[in-house]
Amino acid sequence: MEAPTTETGNEVLETLKFIIDPEIGINIVDLGLVYKVSHEANRLHVELTLTTPGCPMSSTIVTAAEQILQNRFPELAVAVELVWVPMWTPERITEAGLLQMNSI
Amino acid sequence: MSTATVSNSPAKWVVLPHYAFAALAFVALSVMLLFSTDAFSGHYFHPKLLALTHVAALGWATMTIFGALYQLLPVVLEGRLYSERMAVWAFGLLGAGTMLLAYCFWNFQVGWLLHAAACMLFLSFLFFTINVVQTARQAPKWTIEADFIVTSAIWLLLTGLIGLLMALNFTLAFLPQEHVHYLKLHAHLGMAGWFLLLIIGVGAKLIPMFLLAHHTDTQHLSKAYYLINAALVFFTFDHLFFHSDLLPLYAAMVAAGIVLFLLYLRQAYKAKLRPATDPGMKQTFVALGLLLLPLVLVFVVSSRLGLPQALLSSVYLVYGVSIFLGFLSAIILGQTFKTLPFIVWMHAYENQVGRFKTPLPKDLFSEGLLRWQNASYLLGFVLLVAGVLLNRQELLLGGAIGFTITSLLFTANVFQLLLHKTQELKPFTYGSANN
Repeated sequence: MEAPTTETGNEVLETLKFIIDPEIGINIVDLGLVYKVSHEANRLHVELTLTTPGCPMSSTIVTAAEQILQNRFPELAVAVELVWVPMWTPERITEAGLLQMNSI
Repeated sequence: MSTATVSNSPAKWVVLPHYAFAALAFVALSVMLLFSTDAFSGHYFHPKLLALTHVAALGWATMTIFGALYQLLPVVLEGRLYSERMAVWAFGLLGAGTMLLAYCFWNFQVGWLLHAAACMLFLSFLFFTINVVQTARQAPKWTIEADFIVTSAIWLLLTGLIGLLMALNFTLAFLPQEHVHYLKLHAHLGMAGWFLLLIIGVGAKLIPMFLLAHHTDTQHLSKAYYLINAALVFFTFDHLFFHSDLLPLYAAMVAAGIVLFLLYLRQAYKAKLRPATDPGMKQTFVALGLLLLPLVLVFVVSSRLGLPQALLSSVYLVYGVSIFLGFLSAIILGQTFKTLPFIVWMHAYENQVGRFKTPLPKDLFSEGLLRWQNASYLLGFVLLVAGVLLNRQELLLGGAIGFTITSLLFTANVFQLLLHKTQELKPFTYGSANN
């Protein structure tokens, strides 16, 4: 994803790093699952995906992202959307993610 | 942009009892093996060997596969399981049918009790197949993996039907050929039609997923699907009606299908981003290596090589052992710890993610026990195969002890997972997540 330009956008990504993909063991940001973060007025909108369609973690990760963001930014209306396009590929993993994966 | 749906996972009571039953069946199988070493010195049509084979095939392997598949089917087919109630009925009938069948074979009671056991098993397979087919019919996207899984369920039903007819034939004697003739058909439809196709279908989805190797070229898989199914259809008709000398050709078609599956996995392995260093994945690769043994032996048992009868009997036994206690057991021992921890974790912690720092699935079982389990398994398997080939009781006993240790370690780890209690968790304090 493109790096957010606002301070809130960066804080959103830092907050989402608390959510770890349980199978792979690295956070969803470094795994490249977060596609878009937009913040307008008092609305925060996040688009994220999963490593594979049909993943049993879909509702868990969406709810987790909503919960953690709502706790962190109680003044904002948070909406997290699960999207499948473009499809996730392993090339989206960040360098930090690859380092974490190889050290597990 | 397409918006995704919520999770399709079934309730944990649909899935988890299968793992508990399978683990206990594996212990029972190993203990039975301890008391059956004398049975390995003759023909495979032996009451104790029939009991052992069916506990391995049904209580251990099929039970694990049913449980795992109810969890995995929604992942592979991207939809909800058709009926959880049907899954629970299939579980009950499979469990009860397996215990009754094992009792009947061990004591060679081939009357109404055996008929009842076979009926229960056939009904269980029927419920399972309906559930799989109906789930697949609702799938938004059809894939080659779905082809493998649905077709394997149909072969399972056919295997069960032949088994039921054979059970009835013990007392009613209505089948035109001798019993062992149908046993070969029953065994091969079960081994190649049910287990092999199912494992290829699920493995083709899961193994690249675990390795983080996304590639979409499924040509090898499609060819494997048609080769193996064509071989099974030809073999069935030939075995029932023609009795030709073409068995090695059908064996070659199945072997070619397996090689194509292995080539597909090799592509995935080469494209992997994630190292396959955990004991679960290592054991999976051991299982794939062990697959080469029955791959070679199938040519020996299907060709008329003129081997001495005693040696041929041993080869037949090693062939069976290499499938049920080799490939199948090895892959279950590995993949259980790739799937079950995640299922348990999801049910225990899915509502805590994002609010508390949760453990990871790999923290819910003992990796040390798993390493010992894998080592004792390999030792037990080598001793058992050597004992059968050399007809040495002490080696057979050593193998049975190895399997008993393996089953106890496996069961301890499985029950540690199944009995896991959700821990008291600390809430997040926001700062850097990487600290």
